[in-house]
Amino acid sequence: MIIKLMVNDKMVERDVDPTKRLLDFLREDLNLTGTKEGCSEGECGACTVIVNDKAVASCCVLVGQVNGDNILTIEGLEKNGELDIIQKAFIEKGAIQCGFCTPGMIMSCKALLMKNPKPTVDEIKRSIEGNLCRCTGYTKIIEAVQQIVEERCNNE
Amino acid sequence: MKELKYVGKSLVREDSYDKATGKTIYVGDMKRTDMLYAKLVLSEKAHADIEIDRSEAMLVEGIEAIYTHEDVPKVFYNSAEWYPGIKGIRDELILNNRARFVGDRIALVVGSSKETVEKAISKLKIIYKELKPVIGLKQARKDEVIIKENTNLAFSKSINVGNYEEALKKADYVIKDIGTTPKVHHAAIEPHVCLAEFDYQGNLVICTPCQVATQVQMHVANVLNIPLNKVRTVKAVMGGSFGGKSQPILEPIVAFAAWKLNRAVLLYMDRTDVITGTVSRNATEIAVETAVNKEGKILGRKVEVRVDGGAYNTNASNVTMALGKKLYRLYDIPNQTFEGKAYYTNTLPGGTCRGYGSPQGHAVTEVNIDNIAKKLNMDPCEFRLLNLVDEGAKDLTGAPEIGNAKIKECVKVGMEAFNWKEKRDTIKNKSADRYAYGVGMACGTHGNGYKGAYPDFTNVDMRIYADEGAIVKIGVHDLGCGTITTLKQIAAETLDINMEKIRITEADTFVTPYDSAGTQASRVTYVCGGAIKEAGKKLKAKLINAFCKLKNVPIENVETANGYIYDKNSTEEHTYGDIVTEYEKHFSESMSISLEYKSPANPASFAAFFAEVKVDKYTGLVDVIDCLAVHDIGRAINPMLVEGQIQGGAQFGLGMALYEQMKINKNGDVKSNSFSKYHIINSTSMPKVKIILIEDNEPYGPYGAKSVGEMATVAPAPAIINAINFALDTNITTFPATPEVIVNEILKKGI
Repeated sequence: MIIKLMVNDKMVERDVDPTKRLLDFLREDLNLTGTKEGCSEGECGACTVIVNDKAVASCCVLVGQVNGDNILTIEGLEKNGELDIIQKAFIEKGAIQCGFCTPGMIMSCKALLMKNPKPTVDEIKRSIEGNLCRCTGYTKIIEAVQQIVEERCNNE
Repeated sequence: MKELKYVGKSLVREDSYDKATGKTIYVGDMKRTDMLYAKLVLSEKAHADIEIDRSEAMLVEGIEAIYTHEDVPKVFYNSAEWYPGIKGIRDELILNNRARFVGDRIALVVGSSKETVEKAISKLKIIYKELKPVIGLKQARKDEVIIKENTNLAFSKSINVGNYEEALKKADYVIKDIGTTPKVHHAAIEPHVCLAEFDYQGNLVICTPCQVATQVQMHVANVLNIPLNKVRTVKAVMGGSFGGKSQPILEPIVAFAAWKLNRAVLLYMDRTDVITGTVSRNATEIAVETAVNKEGKILGRKVEVRVDGGAYNTNASNVTMALGKKLYRLYDIPNQTFEGKAYYTNTLPGGTCRGYGSPQGHAVTEVNIDNIAKKLNMDPCEFRLLNLVDEGAKDLTGAPEIGNAKIKECVKVGMEAFNWKEKRDTIKNKSADRYAYGVGMACGTHGNGYKGAYPDFTNVDMRIYADEGAIVKIGVHDLGCGTITTLKQIAAETLDINMEKIRITEADTFVTPYDSAGTQASRVTYVCGGAIKEAGKKLKAKLINAFCKLKNVPIENVETANGYIYDKNSTEEHTYGDIVTEYEKHFSESMSISLEYKSPANPASFAAFFAEVKVDKYTGLVDVIDCLAVHDIGRAINPMLVEGQIQGGAQFGLGMALYEQMKINKNGDVKSNSFSKYHIINSTSMPKVKIILIEDNEPYGPYGAKSVGEMATVAPAPAIINAINFALDTNITTFPATPEVIVNEILKKGI
């Protein structure tokens, strides 16, 4: 089946089995290996990408289901050599340890900030409740997003 | 003391840029021309003889090989051994024709793609001739069904200090508790994965997220009967380990496939494979009795520990003894007996897991300590302060000295910061019909390397280049903790070179110098960091001497700053690089140093953890509302990374207290075989962990530092249980205290 979709602002057209998982399509067909697989059942969130402004577990979506959609992956956040504010905040706050959950975690935070620029701590926690991290205890991840919110409030 | 430029600063990790952008290549992301994929077939029965008909599976297009027991070398090994001097009980094979647990390796399927491999696996005909399984310690002890040769007892040893029986006679009270701790899944988010291939120099390369590259090298060479120097282990980027990737599990079998097929082979696991087919924290049953006098002094203690070793010997002896030895390093107990026994069961084997025995040992003994305080009508902190070790305490078992122990200070500072006294006195006033509130605390200790038990040294090569950059070659493994950043800070401080100009290797057995024990046992900052400091000191002295010789400057006039060296009475400045080049030119020698650094000591690290909980008496659910970790760390090389360790360690410990356990039924089936059935704490259940660091200089540590990563996992679990017990006035000693456990206790007490 011919699948046409936007991935990181680029049109992608491929003849592909529509029952292939979006995760495999991204990793294998497009070589976008930043998106990770940790559990294969939508529990760990390592494979989170943004589909039409919503964070989804790409291991639970088939590529046929996103035909014509707009996909954003971790590789698409950096613009003109400039990191996304979430990437910067994660780095500065020490929110990254082994890094395996990081792409999915950042994409969940990105989806949150896209629709809610100044989330509360509880909203931040809820947005990443489906992203498991074994290294950080989440504290520095939450603080990284809080820092963005604080900066936004200060700049008003 | 001279102000430090790098040590003590919360500097950002260099590797976090690539990790934040998805550019970091983990082994599962690697591709090679003509690479094959491989997956293990794991037993679905806990105890069975296996026959496999692979004829139909072999017909799947793209299948390159299907290996079973009959195809592989029959070389027995013990994956927990990390150097040849450890003569453990060797009972593992890379593939088995008798399964001894659900998850045991029975075949390997190799094909051109993952789809091909999965398809072939579905077409394998596996016939299980089932044997009666041995599940749990109780059944193992009966010896009715024997997994190995004569008995299910895998290991037995005791440690004796003083005379416990005499202490009993003098005691006013003897407080007894029996508790259990679960098998815990490491739950690194990166599933186990490994790549094997040949390089252009003829090495069989094992590219793996491992903790001990030389351990992988040793087992691969041994199993395949090829020379050690032909096996090259390259430590790959690690997506988390926590001990789970410490013992080689995939490496020998993927090496075998690559060696047979002369092709690159990537062996991958899914989550269920990882949960069932690797290793777990050893489950334990612990009986403790403590003899005290009415003044609150511990006179003696007896701790009996039974360890569920799982189906293979692996670390049964080591983890049992590691657990036991820790019990002699937290409290000043003149008479103490430890009896440790490990048993085989038809469940997944035990393996190294963050804290290595300490979380289990402290779990039950720290609840017992609270029960003693209760019996004596004392505050549990005050009781601990009467009995905790002091600075310079000796380990009465003869193990290395405990060092600059600051655990009493941890408790005192924590009491103050947590507002302990007031909370303890008043928190129950908050309790109402449905919710009960409580505060609790616990202490813990862990080590700094292997000195006193195993060889503990590391070799380091350090060189300054003509462009002022430096390279430090050392066989370390960054497990995701930021080890390389920490070590760079030490190197930068010692050499007085900007940190960006320093590069440090991770282990590659073809290239990096030998390291005796790998990145385990909380030894890297303390031992390898110590080695880098020592090498840096010597290399800087060599540079200064070279400068003196070249410029005819007396040594007392030499000063350095950020890669520049100069005579303080002159305006002329020289870069380190200038001196390196001139020295080579005039003295025919490079600006480098190689040394072997033997760990000088093995002090204890300590922590006290304070927690406030809210228990829902209707559902048994527990909310951890507030918590504080106070760590005796000697010195934080990078406070931000230290905090990350403590917060992550707390998540591990809270999981052990409340949620995490491998659920295995009487047939040996693993019920918690996915993340939907094995719960690690997520963002909404995880409290913010407040942190206080006690930095009081550990004498032999680099810049006074000692370990934190494993230490951070030890005290949280018993602190939570103590808080629950205080809230409910119960005596829960079962880890985890799941809603079921809590509700049962509530019903039992009729509260």
